Amino acid sequence: MDVTNILSSIQNGNNQDELDDGNYVLDAGYLTVTNTAPIDVDLYNEDIDQYIEQNARDSTQKLIGALFSLPITSSPDGPLAMLPPPTLLLPREKPLPKPKEPTKWEKFAAAKGINKTKHEKKVWDEEKQEWVARWGWKGKNKEAESQWLHEVPANADADHDPRKIARDERKARVAKNERQRLQNVAHSAGSSTDRKKDIERTLATTRVSTASMGKFDRQLDGEKKPRGVKRKFDPTEASAEQERKNALALLSRMESDTRKMRSGSSSHDDGVLNVRKAIRSASKGQGGIALARKLNSNKKSRR
Amino acid sequence: MRPLTDEESKAVFTKLANYIGKNLVHLIDRPDEPHCFRLHRDRVYYVSESSMRLAISVARPNLVSLGTCFGKFSKSGKFKLHVTSLDYLAQYAKYKVWIKPNGEMPFLYGNHVLKAHLGRITEDTPEHQGVVVYSMNDTPLGFGVTARSTIDTRKLDPTSIIVFHQADVGEYLRDEDTLF
Repeated sequence: MDVTNILSSIQNGNNQDELDDGNYVLDAGYLTVTNTAPIDVDLYNEDIDQYIEQNARDSTQKLIGALFSLPITSSPDGPLAMLPPPTLLLPREKPLPKPKEPTKWEKFAAAKGINKTKHEKKVWDEEKQEWVARWGWKGKNKEAESQWLHEVPANADADHDPRKIARDERKARVAKNERQRLQNVAHSAGSSTDRKKDIERTLATTRVSTASMGKFDRQLDGEKKPRGVKRKFDPTEASAEQERKNALALLSRMESDTRKMRSGSSSHDDGVLNVRKAIRSASKGQGGIALARKLNSNKKSRR
Repeated sequence: MRPLTDEESKAVFTKLANYIGKNLVHLIDRPDEPHCFRLHRDRVYYVSESSMRLAISVARPNLVSLGTCFGKFSKSGKFKLHVTSLDYLAQYAKYKVWIKPNGEMPFLYGNHVLKAHLGRITEDTPEHQGVVVYSMNDTPLGFGVTARSTIDTRKLDPTSIIVFHQADVGEYLRDEDTLF
């Protein structure tokens, strides 16, 4: 393939006579060119190799032409072209990050409809007549402990230290906030028993995931033998009386479970009388409350 | 042969309760002779205590069957009732369906029960309820699950399915070699 003639013609500016048919999508940033023109079936069937070669040649030509049209700077290693930022959108490699778990306060605020009010970092100090930090160095929250004169109550002890009291209060607030933050972090990470189970399961899997399925691996100190699930069955020759009791207990447990599950909904009672149907026919479809009201009014009229 | 675990008993009891409801207690708590459920090669057998004690002395590979086979556990742990349990289901069934003589043969070949073949049905049968199928002269033929409740069946056309087939006595011939 001799492309020197074409290259020189592109450099001279009288380029893209046969290539420019608008079917090429160029992305110089990724050094990518795509020919979106549909395949010419006749040419393709005639000679596949030649067709592909031709297509590749044209596409590469287009890409190289685009590279030469970029601003070029000279360097000791030769001319350098600065590639433009890529325009092709590649699919994201990793899944989207999960939304952050709301903190306990955020949940409460959402339930109560409390809007977050953003506090400015600086507050106006009336005495100093200037803006001071809300917290931190020379912060407003240290005003009580840093003032030069303190009021002492009349019944105060001898070792009463108002500065220390104010400081302890502030430190307690900070400690409480930190404790709540850690609780939120722990809550968003999931419960510890789940994590422990997860880790144990992963560990058990990794221990048998070697070439020898864990047989010839070096044992760590204090490592226990992995245990499978041990099935345990009742003895076959147990007394039938005990078995009957167990079965009846299981039945009553199952019954209470289903009753709990469908409490509130209409249930098919197992008695001879279908209560729901009887009420419906007696009240002519008006329900139990209407039936009771009617019976009460009948009693009163008889008196 | 071994007794059922709690999960297995639960699966068996829920399946049986679908057909006989609270009468299940009569199967467990029998006045004549104590009976129990035993699992042998994934099959559940309902067996009297005396036969069970005799069967203990038979080695596992030699024991073919004991008592009445009620059904079997599938590999995924679901319990399937076999037609051999029909004697007990028919005795205690809560909801029943009687089919006309012209519908008996189609049902015994494993087909569903159509409205055209329906003779009688227990009043107030809910949807998807296990029912025992009888011929008009009260011979139990098999069991199935209702497709519609009794009230809904009235406005259906004659070719619609009323009871989905689960098991029928024709299986004694069709599945003779795998049934027990």
